[in-house]
Parts: sequence; C-alpha cells; structure tokens
Amino acid sequence: MYNFLEKMGNVDRRVIFLIIGMVVLLPLLFPFGLPVKATKTTIDVYDAVEAIPDGGKVLVSFEYGPSTKPEIHPMAFAILRHLFHKGHPVIIMCLWPDGLFMAQEVIHQVAELEYDLKYGVDYVNLGYRPGNEAIIKGITRGFESVYTIDTQGLPLSSIPIMRGVETVADIDFIFSLSAGYPGSVEWVQYAADPLQIPFSSGTTSIQVNEVLPYVQAGQMQGIIAGMPAAAEYEGLIIEHGHFDMPGDATRFMDAQSIAHLVIVLFIILGNTAYYIKRKKEQKY
Amino acid sequence: MSVNILGGWIAAFLTLSIFSYLYKDNPFYKMAEHIFVGVSAAYWGTLAFWNQIVPNLFGRLWPAAEYSSLEGFNVAWYKLYHGLHFLSRSIFPISEDGTIIGIPGDQTQNLTYIFPFILGVFMLFRLIPSIGWLSRWSLAYVVGLAAGLRMYGYMNSNVLAQMYGTILPIEWLPELSFFGNLGNIFNTLVIIVGVLSGLFYFFFSMEHKGVFGTVSRIGIYFLMVSFGASFGFAVMGRISLLIGRFNDLIEYAHSQYYFATFILLGVMIVTLYVLSRKPDEASEV
Repeated sequence: MYNFLEKMGNVDRRVIFLIIGMVVLLPLLFPFGLPVKATKTTIDVYDAVEAIPDGGKVLVSFEYGPSTKPEIHPMAFAILRHLFHKGHPVIIMCLWPDGLFMAQEVIHQVAELEYDLKYGVDYVNLGYRPGNEAIIKGITRGFESVYTIDTQGLPLSSIPIMRGVETVADIDFIFSLSAGYPGSVEWVQYAADPLQIPFSSGTTSIQVNEVLPYVQAGQMQGIIAGMPAAAEYEGLIIEHGHFDMPGDATRFMDAQSIAHLVIVLFIILGNTAYYIKRKKEQKY
Repeated sequence: MSVNILGGWIAAFLTLSIFSYLYKDNPFYKMAEHIFVGVSAAYWGTLAFWNQIVPNLFGRLWPAAEYSSLEGFNVAWYKLYHGLHFLSRSIFPISEDGTIIGIPGDQTQNLTYIFPFILGVFMLFRLIPSIGWLSRWSLAYVVGLAAGLRMYGYMNSNVLAQMYGTILPIEWLPELSFFGNLGNIFNTLVIIVGVLSGLFYFFFSMEHKGVFGTVSRIGIYFLMVSFGASFGFAVMGRISLLIGRFNDLIEYAHSQYYFATFILLGVMIVTLYVLSRKPDEASEV
C-alpha cells in the first residue's frame, strides 16, 4: 500500500490529465442525472426576480465572451426565460465586445424563437460600448449620453421600451452576467449602491469569492455562482413553471460532479504520498 | 461545405491544438497560440476603433451635415474633413452626390472632443522618442480620471458598505427557530473574528508575538480558508470550461460535421508521432 501511494506521488502529470479528461468526457456521453439542489444564494436571485413589480423594466448586461460561455451562457438563457415568462421588458447592453455576440445568440433563441417577442417593445439590444465603468457611470447620468442608437441603428428616442427610461435609476432591476472586469463589482460600485437599484448577478466560479462579500453585506440580491448555480436556477424555473426543459448547465453537472470527486481523490492521494515520502526521508 | 461546417472544423482544430500542449509543446500548439494572440489583438483593435473612435470621437467632431448648410467656422472645419476624406474614404465618408459630409449617426457636434483627440494623438507619440514625453500628459489624465472615478465607488461599496456588513448585531430573531438563531449568531461571530484577526495579520508595525501573535495566527487560518475556497472555485470554473470545450468537440464529432474531431485528432496524433521520430526536430517537438 505504501509503495502504491509512493508511486502515485510520482505519477506522470499526463496520466492525471488523461484521467480528468476521461471523467469529464464519459458523463457527457452517458449522463446519469445526479440531483441538483438549489442553494440559498441562487434562491435569493430567484426571489429577487419574483419581487420585481409587474411590468418592471429590467437591465441585463452581458459581460462575458466565448472563453467563459459554458459557465455564463446557461445563466443568460435561464434568467431571460424567467424574465420574459413574467412579462418584464428587458433592456440588454454589453460591457464586453464579445458580449454582443453572446447576447444576440440568447436573444435569437429565447426572445425570437421561444417567446416570439417584439423588438423595441418587449426587449431592446443597446449593444456594446467601450469604456468599462465609465459606461455604467454614463448611464447613471443618462442612457443617451452613452447610447445614441441601438444595435439596429434606431435612435433611442424612437424605441418604445426606452420611453420613461432616461437614466439607470428608472430601471427596476439590474442583472449582470459577469466574467470579470468590468462586471458585477463595477455595477455595485457605480450603479446599484449609489442609486439603490436592486441588483443581482451571475458570475464565473473564479469570481465568486470576490463578489460574495457584496451578497453577504446586502449590496447584491443573491448570486448565481458558476455552472452549478446555473443548473440550480434552471431547476428553479422548471419547478415554478416558468419553463419546461432543463438547460445545458443541468446536463453538464454530472461531468462537473464526477470531475470534482476525482480531483478531491487526487488531492488526498497526493498529500498522503507526500506525507509518507517525508516520513521516510526523516527516518533515514 | 457550408460556413458553419468550416467553422466547426476550425474550432475543433484549434481546440485540439491547444489541448495538445498537455502532451508537450509542439507546432500545433504554437500555431494556435500565435493565431489566438494575433486574432485577439486585431479583433479588439478593430472593434475599439469602429465602435468608439469613429462614432464617439470623429462622429462628435464632424457629425453628418448637409454641405450647403455649413456656415462660419464649420466651413473651414469641414474643409479639414475633406482632407481626411482623401486619406481614408471609409473612415471619413462623403455621400456620393457630395451633399452630405461627416460621420453618419445620431451625434450632435461637440468640439470639446478635440481635447481627447489631442490626448489620444499624444499617446501615440511614445513611438517617437524625441517627443515621447508628451504621452505622459495623456497617461496623467487617464490615471487621474481613473483614480477620481474609482475613489468614490471603492469608499462607498468596498469600505463603508462592507463595514456595515461586518458589524452585524448579535440578536435573537423571533422569526428564526432556536437552531436558526444559534447559527445566525455563530455566523456573525465568525465574520467579526475573521475580519479582525485578518486585519491584525496585515498590521506590521508590531511584532507578531504574544496575544497579538495569537490573533494574527487565527487571521492566517481565516486567510487559508479563503484561499482554499478561491482554489475550489477556480477548479470548478476550469472544469466548467473543459466541459464546454468537450461538449463542442462531441458536437463536431457528428456526421453533420463530417467527423471533424476524429479526423483532426487522428491527423494530429500521426503528425506528432512522425515529428517525434525525426531526430533533428525531436528537440523542438
């Protein structure tokens, strides 16, 4: 046993890569549907969306790109399905250039194919503007100071959904789909906190530790934290009848769970092997 | 072969090329890495120029106007635009019949944008060493603006609001159960002890000995837990991204994409094997 553990400590890293690859690949090919239970922070986001007044306007900001698509894209689908099912007009904007393509993909699927909504009335895509937090700061002064036209070249003043929306303070709820800078943190600092606008976010796993203090302090209303929380949110909207089919995050969770299990196993084995090796060295 | 299928083949090839680094450094990985850097730089540059500089800077200096309606200073100002039009017709367009001049859009003229324009040009002077010092003015403006913009945000959201979030009252809430209240009070104590001991650890004006040393040591444990949580989330995020790539590779392995994943994987394995057998190139592969 000792010899086996010692050998484990010296195993070629490529063997570990191969094993991780296999444990991710196999559950994707042969899913077995592990249960996903919603955590408090995800339920808080769901409750925050439910608490938006009827017909309240929601701003959804896309701050991610293809590199973080597997984590954030399922959240975008789930949150827009929830919002559109409840009949909220949605204003979409992007602080990341690639966010525009992500937004277009989600809009096409959810707003056009699933809900057959009317552009300009039920939703609008303002598109991407460079400037990071300066854009957020800009829309606190007025949308038209940053966006003169939307992605279709329509002047903001001619878009029905934008009537009565002069600054971000006229928005009832902000949701940021964030993969880094600029993202959730900047929304808290420049819009949600100063103007006291209800705000929530879906983030990559790596960002969670940075954003969670805002949730704990009540500056954000919950957080969809990475792919597992996206799966939880998909489960919540199905459970409450806002949608009827599980999304990608739920499908990916088997692979995620098994991979974590194997990584934990590797950490335990690696540390045990290291401990045994050190003991042996001390002995001789 | 449709564009979609071609895109699938390119995506599969680049994904497998990047993954091939896990075996060892090789020409496929190097090629994918160079393509990534080049495409990213070009993409960001193009996007920033056409989305920001053209509509928000040039569009505000020379918004589209009827040539015949120009008067006063604008006549000379738009003559300058004429000169720029000869440099690039796509960036500085004029309508075919010559009646509309300026950048199309919904902008109104704002000549104060000449200052950011000048500062932007100054930034490029870094490329000319003799007048490179002018770029410091632009940098000073950017640094000053960022500091001013962020100071309020950080003070308000990261300092004051976080302090309010830390100093929570220890109270018995009637709406919670007995164990709910115990948990709530325990959480509050953990937050207070964690924050204070963490701050103690970063106080370097006293030697970490005695009571001070003990408290700062508790702070280290809290920091370790925080780093552990960060590591856990980082692993979770990376596995999510791996799942995303595998999911795409599975899709490209279907007959709809002419088994792109399998074919490309096979070609790459054979090529890497052949390259590794060549003694001259073995050191490079």
